[in-house]
Amino acid sequence: MKKSDDFDIAFSFPTLHRMLDDVEQQILAPLSCLREVGYEWILEIDLPLVDKKDISISLDDNTITVEAKLREEYSDPLIYKSKFKYFKKTITLPGKADTKKITAKFERGRLVIRIPKIHLGRKIKIN
Amino acid sequence: MKNQPSKPSDKILLVGFPSNGLVGTFTISYLVHSLKMELIGEIDHPDLPPALFVENGEVLAPIRIYQKDNLHVIMSDMPFDPFLAQDFAGSIIEYCKKNNIEKIIIVSGMETINRDPKAPKVYGLVTHPSLEKLLYQNDVSKFLSGSIFGTDAALISVFRKSRIPAVVLYAECHPFFPDPEASVIAISTLAKILKIHVDTKDIQKKIERLRIQHRNLMEETIKALQAQQEKQPQARAPQIYR
Repeated sequence: MKKSDDFDIAFSFPTLHRMLDDVEQQILAPLSCLREVGYEWILEIDLPLVDKKDISISLDDNTITVEAKLREEYSDPLIYKSKFKYFKKTITLPGKADTKKITAKFERGRLVIRIPKIHLGRKIKIN
Repeated sequence: MKNQPSKPSDKILLVGFPSNGLVGTFTISYLVHSLKMELIGEIDHPDLPPALFVENGEVLAPIRIYQKDNLHVIMSDMPFDPFLAQDFAGSIIEYCKKNNIEKIIIVSGMETINRDPKAPKVYGLVTHPSLEKLLYQNDVSKFLSGSIFGTDAALISVFRKSRIPAVVLYAECHPFFPDPEASVIAISTLAKILKIHVDTKDIQKKIERLRIQHRNLMEETIKALQAQQEKQPQARAPQIYR
């Protein structure tokens, strides 16, 4: 369900990335969503139990990797004797990004990375 | 946790299922545990994938029925595809008729991208004008415009044609991530409507862990919502017609 106030943003479901936790390395795969809004992509990553100082974001070509250390260990009730200490996710962007203008914000356990697109088009004059 | 037992004079059915932010699932399951409601039955369907849950050694079906005094609950731990959503709505109305339910309250989540995360709001939508008073009395803003699809829409469609009124409480939430924080406000609103006290300290302590624990269910729910939206493209009228 969606309030009509938000219809200025094109409604579409985000690109979801399949989760794959690594029990051996104690790494959780966080939920993330990538949305295309106008001239940028907005990548959101859910990082509960994480402090801002323990997050690292790296960019390689068009691939963004986010790693974070959990404030306290997490045991999955569905995985016997599991103990997780980290989050890690790598996401490939669907196009060219203006890497110098990427910004990130972390609030209430959610990381929001705004990635401006590179425009390769040219202006067309109207006669 | 001190929770006064609920004894509403009307027979009320509460319904929760996975939707935006998993708000309905968190809210209703927390209420069931807080009020120590009794498991009285299950809803089965041949098209449901073979899945069971085990809690404290007890085998549980994904769609369960609980009761305490005049308060009934039907909750699902499994998201529905478009066909199952219709059948689920049919089962709910059948249950209401058999048990003389006088009104139903559905709890769900509402996608608001620009919401104030520090103060999420709850909006209400009623199928019959007789329930509008309930919204005003409990300071629930009326949901005025927008689009609804999926299981919420299937339930509203069925109940607006029946004599049993339904109210849907929509808590503002993050649509794609589990949002137990939004369900805290939904629990408080629901408790106010039911005139009961529910202590939310327990869920507030577990918010971050619940977000990690329910990642898979959120992912499955998004897939189901995608399938439901694809089935109902008319749910999004173009701007010009609104």
